Amino acid sequence: MFRFQSLDEDCTLEEEDEGLVEEEDEINQFNDDTFGAGAIDDDWQEEHKRLTGLDKGDGLGGGMGGESDLGGAEDSSSTYLPSSAGHLPLPSSVPSLKFSLSSSGLPPDVEDRGGGGDLAESLARLILEADPAIAGVGAAERPGPSPSSSRSSLSALQGLDRPRVPPQPSSIPHPTQPHQHSHHPQHQLPPGPSAPGLPPGAALSSMLSYQQQQHLLRRGTAPMAQMNSHSIWENSMGFGPVSVSPGLITHMEDSPLMSIIKEVGLPKQPPQGRNDGRDLSERVPPPRSSSPVIGSPPVRAVPIGTPPKQPMSHALNHQIHHPTAVHVRAPIQHRYPPPFPERVSPNTLLNIANSPLCRSPFPPGVGSVLSQIQRVQLLNSQVAGFPHGVPAPPLLPGCGGGFRPFFGPPLGHRIGPPPHGHLNHAPPIRHNTTHLHPQHRRMLTQRMQNRGGDRGRTGGDRRSRDPYSNLMTQKEKEWVTKIQMMQLQSTDPYLDDYYYQNYYEKMEKRQERERDSSKKEHATKLITPQVAKVEHTYRPVQFAGSLGKLTVSSVNNPRKMIDAVVTTRTDDEEKREKQVWNKRRQILYTVEKMYSMLLEVQDFEKRFVQAPEEDREALLEQHKSNTMQLCSSLREKEWDDRVSDEQCVMIMSVRKGKRLISRLLPFLPSPQAAAVVMAISRNLPALAKKDKQDQVLCWLVGPVSAVIQSLSSSALTDLLQELQGSEGQLATVLHNKFGVTLLYLILSEGERMQSSDPNCQLMDDNRWTELVFSVTRELLSVPSSSLSPPLFTPPNLLSLFSRYVDRQRLELLQDKLQITSLSS
Amino acid sequence: MNYVPGTASLIDDIDKKHLVLLRDGRTLIGYLRSIDQFANLVFHQTVERIHVGKKFGDIPRGIFIVRGENVVLLGEIDMEKPCDTVLQQVSIEEILEEQRLQQQAKQETDKVKMQALKDRGLAIPKADNLDEY
Repeated sequence: MFRFQSLDEDCTLEEEDEGLVEEEDEINQFNDDTFGAGAIDDDWQEEHKRLTGLDKGDGLGGGMGGESDLGGAEDSSSTYLPSSAGHLPLPSSVPSLKFSLSSSGLPPDVEDRGGGGDLAESLARLILEADPAIAGVGAAERPGPSPSSSRSSLSALQGLDRPRVPPQPSSIPHPTQPHQHSHHPQHQLPPGPSAPGLPPGAALSSMLSYQQQQHLLRRGTAPMAQMNSHSIWENSMGFGPVSVSPGLITHMEDSPLMSIIKEVGLPKQPPQGRNDGRDLSERVPPPRSSSPVIGSPPVRAVPIGTPPKQPMSHALNHQIHHPTAVHVRAPIQHRYPPPFPERVSPNTLLNIANSPLCRSPFPPGVGSVLSQIQRVQLLNSQVAGFPHGVPAPPLLPGCGGGFRPFFGPPLGHRIGPPPHGHLNHAPPIRHNTTHLHPQHRRMLTQRMQNRGGDRGRTGGDRRSRDPYSNLMTQKEKEWVTKIQMMQLQSTDPYLDDYYYQNYYEKMEKRQERERDSSKKEHATKLITPQVAKVEHTYRPVQFAGSLGKLTVSSVNNPRKMIDAVVTTRTDDEEKREKQVWNKRRQILYTVEKMYSMLLEVQDFEKRFVQAPEEDREALLEQHKSNTMQLCSSLREKEWDDRVSDEQCVMIMSVRKGKRLISRLLPFLPSPQAAAVVMAISRNLPALAKKDKQDQVLCWLVGPVSAVIQSLSSSALTDLLQELQGSEGQLATVLHNKFGVTLLYLILSEGERMQSSDPNCQLMDDNRWTELVFSVTRELLSVPSSSLSPPLFTPPNLLSLFSRYVDRQRLELLQDKLQITSLSS
Repeated sequence: MNYVPGTASLIDDIDKKHLVLLRDGRTLIGYLRSIDQFANLVFHQTVERIHVGKKFGDIPRGIFIVRGENVVLLGEIDMEKPCDTVLQQVSIEEILEEQRLQQQAKQETDKVKMQALKDRGLAIPKADNLDEY
């Protein structure tokens, strides 16, 4: 299909020419469209000879002098056409042109065409003359600023050879000023079109001079100083190697020069020069805000900040080569498909533009909600030979259904496709205004209608002459719009756009009030784009067992330094918790105070020894007072002499408190120490429970045993009684290691007392005996499992028990408690 | 054609001749070619217009890229509207000279003013510093 690709072969072009013409109808189509009837195949060689033959002629004087109106040129052109035999069907001529240059191994790079310049001329002439539209354009351009006209015509010939250049490179000064154009062509167009047939004389001349410049630049002359915008424009004329698929380019280029002459083609030129930059960016899109470290959220392929890419759509290629015949006149400002193929022939463009519009395949309600992709598809379907006027219904639902929101997921609504630009004849475009207040929408449509007629035409016309227009591609415009729209999304419209909402509400209310007399309309609901509030919490990656978290942070998830967890509590709970905490704090405070006192007391000895004589008194005094303080601290109330149970228990509810007591006991005077021990044994169950977590009661064993040993028998008995306490207390005591130990201690002490001193008062009243009996009973009844092993077993327990229990039970006890007579 | 009806956008201003006033007081006139979301502007065939009194001068500057935050005002120039100003266009050298004179005069007056204030023990911060606060 794409015959252009075979250009590199050194085949006989003539055959190719004819064959091509015969086979491909599309070429004729081109011809018919662009050259009008009468375009005939010709032999470029003959043409070349003829033109070179004219080279010696008098030159441009006659030809150039004719600043005749292009309109008038038509007649002359028509006369000229048959005579000059310089017609070539453009598509085939272009390859022929190319081929002529292939001696140098021409790559399909369009710019690198050398000879056959005469051909170029004639082609240009053809283009300019043949089509009245172009002629009209040329005429319109005439009065315009000269640079632009020369530019436009020059751009037209961008694809042409620069025949004139080789012979006279030197005569071309560097960046040409606009006024120079008139001069150069004088020199450069000797063979030129014969006098009458040179309507676009000036244009052609300027074209050629442009060619010269192009060639010069091609040849790598120093980069042009940007003396004026004119030269700037020329510099950017796409000289860089267009690295996209060569085949595609050739096509673009081949779609004839006339395409370029029509103003549509013009805007493409500068951007083509920028393609390099584009291509580069396509190759290596720099991810800007990427955080490639583990755990960061997925990075979008194109972070915000990179301009949009231009995808090459093959659909477009298809279109270009199978355009439907469309009248070429309508002006177009937008570029419809993505502008990679900047050089879209105006035919295609117009096809694209006109077909959907003229046919309006959609029901009016649909409006123009298609994306570019869909349009392309649509066009393809049309181009592929659907019956005229029948839209492509199978495509539509697919398109519509599978419609990827044009601007990506975040948008809650669709944006109508923009590129209807300045088409005045188009039916009023329905943008997607669902997000607006209905009132607002009405106002907008009114405004657009008012504005539609008057301004559009002039604007379009003006822009048609501007070769730099559309530097910002459609895609880019949409991209910017998309970003702007994203900023408009709101989860809470009343918060974000309060005044807008209120204004339209008021307006509505006012209208309702006015209308109220006549009829009652239901209040229109305001629809605003609401985006669901999605929690984008990002949890940093954590490895189990590692200390802390990975320090991975990116723009999207800044590092969370503190894991502050908010727990909401009710008032009551808070109060209770607060009380608890307060109490605990108080206990701790007390413990701390006592500790410091204790430490002082403990250190007294050391200090006393070291202190000199005179200080010892004072030290002693201090010591005494300290001790007093300690004791008093154990009392709940100041005036109460007794050691307070609650205080002790309170202190001992804290681990440190237990430790404190254990250290404190040795320093207490014996009555108080005894009292403390009493308190302990009395509240042992509670203490045991509180100690469950810490298990530090056993610290007390040492001091307590010391205290016990200093107890009197009655005190001991009392102690034992306390230990037994209420019903079931003993059982719990036995559960606890400390309890068991304490019990044993007491018992062994009792035994010691009895054994050592026969006259001890232990046996005076039956209390001791009874107590021991009950203890033994309890010991026997308690299951072994619940009996906690003591810290140590005093040796004389056996003898104790042997006193009170019979043999049988003794043996049982022995087994249970694992006491042997020989145990130590 | 506004792509997003109901909003203001610079998209419609593209390829039109604009006049922009920058924060540093410069006035640029050019064809707005490209924008972005920050309202950074790309101007083509830019001309810097210096006004001194009733005279003005145009200095061609080529292509300008203006960072969006430096734009004070931006407005489209209506080419069709007849230009009936009393301003008189002069050459570049002349306008630059005029500007220099104007700035010199301003500096003089400023100096005198500052001196007077200093004498009275007052100080007024210069405008170019205000931005930083």
